[in-house]
Amino acid sequence: MTRLGLCALALSLTVAACRKPPQPGDPLAGLTAQERDRFVHGRVVFDSAFTPATGLGPLFNAVGCGECHEDPKAGGTGDEVERHATAFHPAAAGRACDELAAKGGPVFQLHVTPLLHAALGIDSEPVPPEATAIARRTTPAIFGFGLLDAVPDSVILSYADPDDRDHDGISGRPNRFFDGRLGRFGRKALVPTLREFNEGALIAEMGVTSPAIPTEETVAGQPLPAGTDPAPDPELPREATDLLDAFVRLLAPPEQKLTREARQGREVFERTGCARCHVPALRTGDSPVPALRHREVAAYTDLLLHDMGPELADICLGLATPSEFRTEPLMGVRLRSKFLHDGRATTLEQAIDLHAGEGAAARDRFRGLAAGERAALIAFLKTL
Amino acid sequence: MNRLTFLILCLSAQIRPVPTAAQQAAPPHDSLQGAVRVVDLRARALEITTGVGMALRVVRLRIAAETRLTAAGAALPLAQLQRGDIVRASFGTRPGGFVAYTIERVGRMTTTKGGGGGGTP
Repeated sequence: MTRLGLCALALSLTVAACRKPPQPGDPLAGLTAQERDRFVHGRVVFDSAFTPATGLGPLFNAVGCGECHEDPKAGGTGDEVERHATAFHPAAAGRACDELAAKGGPVFQLHVTPLLHAALGIDSEPVPPEATAIARRTTPAIFGFGLLDAVPDSVILSYADPDDRDHDGISGRPNRFFDGRLGRFGRKALVPTLREFNEGALIAEMGVTSPAIPTEETVAGQPLPAGTDPAPDPELPREATDLLDAFVRLLAPPEQKLTREARQGREVFERTGCARCHVPALRTGDSPVPALRHREVAAYTDLLLHDMGPELADICLGLATPSEFRTEPLMGVRLRSKFLHDGRATTLEQAIDLHAGEGAAARDRFRGLAAGERAALIAFLKTL
Repeated sequence: MNRLTFLILCLSAQIRPVPTAAQQAAPPHDSLQGAVRVVDLRARALEITTGVGMALRVVRLRIAAETRLTAAGAALPLAQLQRGDIVRASFGTRPGGFVAYTIERVGRMTTTKGGGGGGTP
């Protein structure tokens, strides 16, 4: 090797060693120039604020993705809380859950445009009287979701134990979308793919139609009054939805920084049984994006439904009963200030303490820990 | 019709809501896969839940005399379809709403614990 070659090699190694770990809102490492370009342009769509003239509403929860997913950076969490409602009839023949889709559910938007307000005199979409539960839903951080999307169904199903055959008191089972596909996104794991999660959010959260969903939401099942939706459909073209999808898909997961106490806490996390549902690592499968392909993602979830007991129960969704929730990914949990699906816990200790049902045994073991071990476990969680 | 237009038309039919006078501009022929929500024997109609992500839609399909209902290749009476069955449907637009050409039962959604949930036959 020539002297010049040696210098170039040394320089590249130095640059690699000095490369800063990705910060929240950064793209995945190892993207191609074209992928980085799509990420940058997708962030513009993500940060857009829609108006009625550009497609907002007539029913909406937010004017853009970035209004809720803002903390600490685009793709993060936010303080908005939205409202979902369904009807659960456990004694009914066939499927017990009615998502109230014919009445505008399960997402009942909290805001309306001035034109819709003038036409109907409403300030939000009414929840129909058939609803048996109304749920509060906080904004999830979506860092690393492209990696979750790339985890093969077979990996998720390998953790399922619906009949608790190993008698450990934990019986995770998958949710399914209405066409039978395995679900993984959303607090009840209804949504099969990240693409659908994004496209569904455009219409359900902002009232923005896209090629995938070119029709507006109804108002509690009734068609929109004439003249209340001035923007032509689809309100966001295919190119823009593709870029939005690229931005979300290529967001890096938060980097973990383990201290000595946190390493001890990781051992406590395993020993108390938290890791039986909050599975530390999932492996992705094939992907057209090399940075997502065959990677280990420190997700701390099994993406399965678990019964969390009656105190946390709210709505049903797909196959999920009111008390079943998908194991929340702990990836990025250090960036949150409110915990659980509805934000009712303001500390990690509270969140653990509210675990019941399949989480009760691990919760009890947490309660029985010495103070130092509890502190170590919390310190570990604060590195995720 | 180019491929992109065709794809958009196909996707749009998957999430079309219960048709209303204002929302009946549908392509002449399309298909969907979703879960049976209502079997209306009197009106000979099905309501099917489908959608994209958390944006859900209910599609109402009339069952005509010539509609072919099947399960595993065999004929299936409408009365044997149940809420929670997963069906694949092809349909077209007629005055008054959508009419099914074919309905094929391909699986079942259940809320029972055993078996890890439905979704496949």
